[in-house]
Amino acid sequence: MTATVLRSGALRAAAPSPWRWLWLALAAAVLLYLPILLTERQIFGFRLSNMMLLNIGLSQVNLMLITMLGALSLNYLTGSAGLISIGHAAFYAVGAMTAAITGSQWGWPFPLVLIAAGLGGALAGLLAGLPSLRVRGLYFVLSTFAVHYLVVFAFMEYQFKFFDVVGVPYKNATLGSWTLSTPMRWYFFLLPLVIFIYWLLRNSLRTREGRAMQAMRDHELAATANGIDVRFLRLKAFAFSSAIAAMGGALYAYYLSNVTSEFFGIQFAIQFIAMIIIGGMGSLPGAVVGAAVWLLLPSIITGLTAQAGDTTGLLRSVLVDHKPQLVQAIFGMLVIVLLIFAPWGIAGMATRLKARLTAWWSRS
Amino acid sequence: MFIQVLLSGIALGSIYGLVALGFAVVFKATDVFNFAQGMFVAFGAYFAVTTINLLGLPFPLAVAAIIAASAALGVVIHIVLIQPLSGRPMLSVIMLTIALSIVMRAVIEILYGVQSRTLSTPMPTGIFLVGDVRISQLHLVAAGVSWLCMAAFGAFFKFTSIGLLMRATADGHEAALVSGVNVKVMNRLAWAIGAGLAAIGGLFLGQLQIVSPELEHIGLLALPAVVIGGMQSIPGAIIGGLLVGLIEQLSATYISPKSSDILVYVLLLAILMVRPWGLFGQRELGRV
Amino acid sequence: MSHALELRDLSVRYARKGFALDGVNLTIPKGGVVALLGANGAGKTTMIRAISGLLPLHNGQITGGSIAMDGQSILGLPSHKLVRMGMGQVPEGRLVFKQLTVEENLRVGAAVLPKSTEKERMDAVYELFPRLQERRSQAAGWLSGGEQQMLALGRALVTRPRLLLVDELSLGLAPLIVRAIYKQLKLVGETLGASILVVEQNARLALDFATTAYVLERGRITLSGSAQDVANSDLVRESYLGVAKEGGAA
Repeated sequence: MTATVLRSGALRAAAPSPWRWLWLALAAAVLLYLPILLTERQIFGFRLSNMMLLNIGLSQVNLMLITMLGALSLNYLTGSAGLISIGHAAFYAVGAMTAAITGSQWGWPFPLVLIAAGLGGALAGLLAGLPSLRVRGLYFVLSTFAVHYLVVFAFMEYQFKFFDVVGVPYKNATLGSWTLSTPMRWYFFLLPLVIFIYWLLRNSLRTREGRAMQAMRDHELAATANGIDVRFLRLKAFAFSSAIAAMGGALYAYYLSNVTSEFFGIQFAIQFIAMIIIGGMGSLPGAVVGAAVWLLLPSIITGLTAQAGDTTGLLRSVLVDHKPQLVQAIFGMLVIVLLIFAPWGIAGMATRLKARLTAWWSRS
Repeated sequence: MFIQVLLSGIALGSIYGLVALGFAVVFKATDVFNFAQGMFVAFGAYFAVTTINLLGLPFPLAVAAIIAASAALGVVIHIVLIQPLSGRPMLSVIMLTIALSIVMRAVIEILYGVQSRTLSTPMPTGIFLVGDVRISQLHLVAAGVSWLCMAAFGAFFKFTSIGLLMRATADGHEAALVSGVNVKVMNRLAWAIGAGLAAIGGLFLGQLQIVSPELEHIGLLALPAVVIGGMQSIPGAIIGGLLVGLIEQLSATYISPKSSDILVYVLLLAILMVRPWGLFGQRELGRV
Repeated sequence: MSHALELRDLSVRYARKGFALDGVNLTIPKGGVVALLGANGAGKTTMIRAISGLLPLHNGQITGGSIAMDGQSILGLPSHKLVRMGMGQVPEGRLVFKQLTVEENLRVGAAVLPKSTEKERMDAVYELFPRLQERRSQAAGWLSGGEQQMLALGRALVTRPRLLLVDELSLGLAPLIVRAIYKQLKLVGETLGASILVVEQNARLALDFATTAYVLERGRITLSGSAQDVANSDLVRESYLGVAKEGGAA
């Protein structure tokens, strides 16, 4: 969407300003201090309650980072190629399966496993994206839906053939001699990785090919007339996005150290769609926001409903006994409300607000 | 026991055909690909549990209540969620229905818990024995009622004036407006029918299998049914449903129970690549 | 005495395309036939949509002015209500129900009538257009262009409207057929006492048929008057009737 292209341009123009460096320094400080804050639950000697920290622990932040890879890759796909994939979680499964084969079965070292997962994802993405050469829009979405079921089935077959109903186990993740054995270590591994991937995707959107894809996304005739075969560019984008998602899947598997096929069901896949709608479709910042909301929502709700200790009956059932369902219900309603009133998502709202403020500022 | 598998495939397929019919009516009338149709099926089953087992209503009254409640739900959803999004790209509306299914599933799990329940109705559950073949009475009733409903709907659609107006609305939205048709009411009627038919399907599926939120996935099989049969074609949807039922039963028996749905999705992919408008649909440029 | 239709200072804009009509004034006297001329994109169809309540369907909205039918404001009323109030429309592109038969198409139009009058009204339309009677059980999608136009007209006429809006009748049709249809239209109009608004790109045809005419250019009325006066104006002669300027090379 135009918002994405505009955004990249705006950021580029703003680069040299001193405010920018201040923001970056501040952000870096926060990001670096965050794991310490969450682990020790105190700041400058001042103890923080669970409520104040929104009930978040470092392991949830790590999970959010891993999920963010899926949201980023999905929004990259949507923003560049204009393709919507309902079954994006399938590539997480592909990554987990590749990691199981190369890591748990063949004993490859962790970094190689990640690369293998990426390659497996790229291949799967290439195959899954083939329908996009033939159909677009609704029909393509349906094909991703079908592909998802097929991939999860393959994972299930793999799980039961080589392992058992308990799930597929994963060894510890080690980088050389350094084992990712604590949430803190995972954090300091995942954070630069996610930032790197973000940077990679953003630059890909800015290349001549990337811009061409975006601008021509809705005007296919114009693109073909210009001699750029958009269809193959789209396939490339699909493969790239799937590779990243597959890496996310491998990380997911190693992080949880045991996964089953149920982990990758259509419920999980839908979470990604919800994330990018909430954050803002087609925009990378939107993916970040969406994943953050996905992380924060359960914690906030838990915090709020902690007050409801004495209620009984239906209210109790809603607020206390069925927290995950309450979270899902609110998550879904948030998506619905945004779709109706603000289809450009939270990041989109921020962009509009910023534009309005800038206009007001320049006028006065 | 090929004949037995065939018969249960037809029975199940008839139910899928009914749900697919509801889906196709909504799609033809309002251009909405309703991913929440699976949840409408689940809602039907849960309404059944409530009215028949929890409230103990007499069966005919319970059935009427189930259909009425589902139809009302369909109308409310159209007014509150679908109408505000008219004119938006189709994919936005699809995502709305996906989000809707998330909410609906959460609501069911909150109200009824996550564990499955059994649905017991006065419908016959015995077996007929015809030679070597065992025919489940419930299957027979389910298939019979489904076909009755589909035929009734067909008659309604073809022979009544409201049916005519619905067909006109599906044929051309603007043309219908211009001719004085109250298109808003027609759309709501379509959603009422879509939800109502799904609920009947849920009633049968709930008793044939088990009542749990997983019914959503069984109900969702109506989606490949409609696509395979042809999204713009009402008879196509029904035939798609039969096909799905047959494939499901055949692969469950001769390949493995876990693989029952996979072949359906393989067929779906094949159709999308080779003949996206379905077996009985018409090629429509601009839909893709 | 109120007019059949009166537009006062009407302004319309589309969500994505900007303004389409700007302060338009137009009256249709009772029993009169008014022609609306203009090039493609001038806003003629927009005006029809504004009158018949179809703007929301096309992401448009009325930003100012008023529309009154027989003295009663009809601003914001939904299309199906307007049909019941006596407005009939033959839309651009005919918009017949392709998969319904000719008879079913007419029945849809007649749906707003009480059941008792339905048959006689439909028979009246068949009398007017015998070709439709011949093809009454055929799917409308298989009819020729001219027959589809007759069907669209018949569908609108079956309710005996007091106000008839006809949008681009001649598009895609042979001149002979168009003339024949216009002749029927004139007859019907006089019999019913209906007031007619005709939107036409074919200026000559429209001016022969109408009593008063308006010229719409880029959302504004630039000329209005009796059909004769408008036909004789320089503007119309040059731009719409293809008559060469005096003194220039032909």
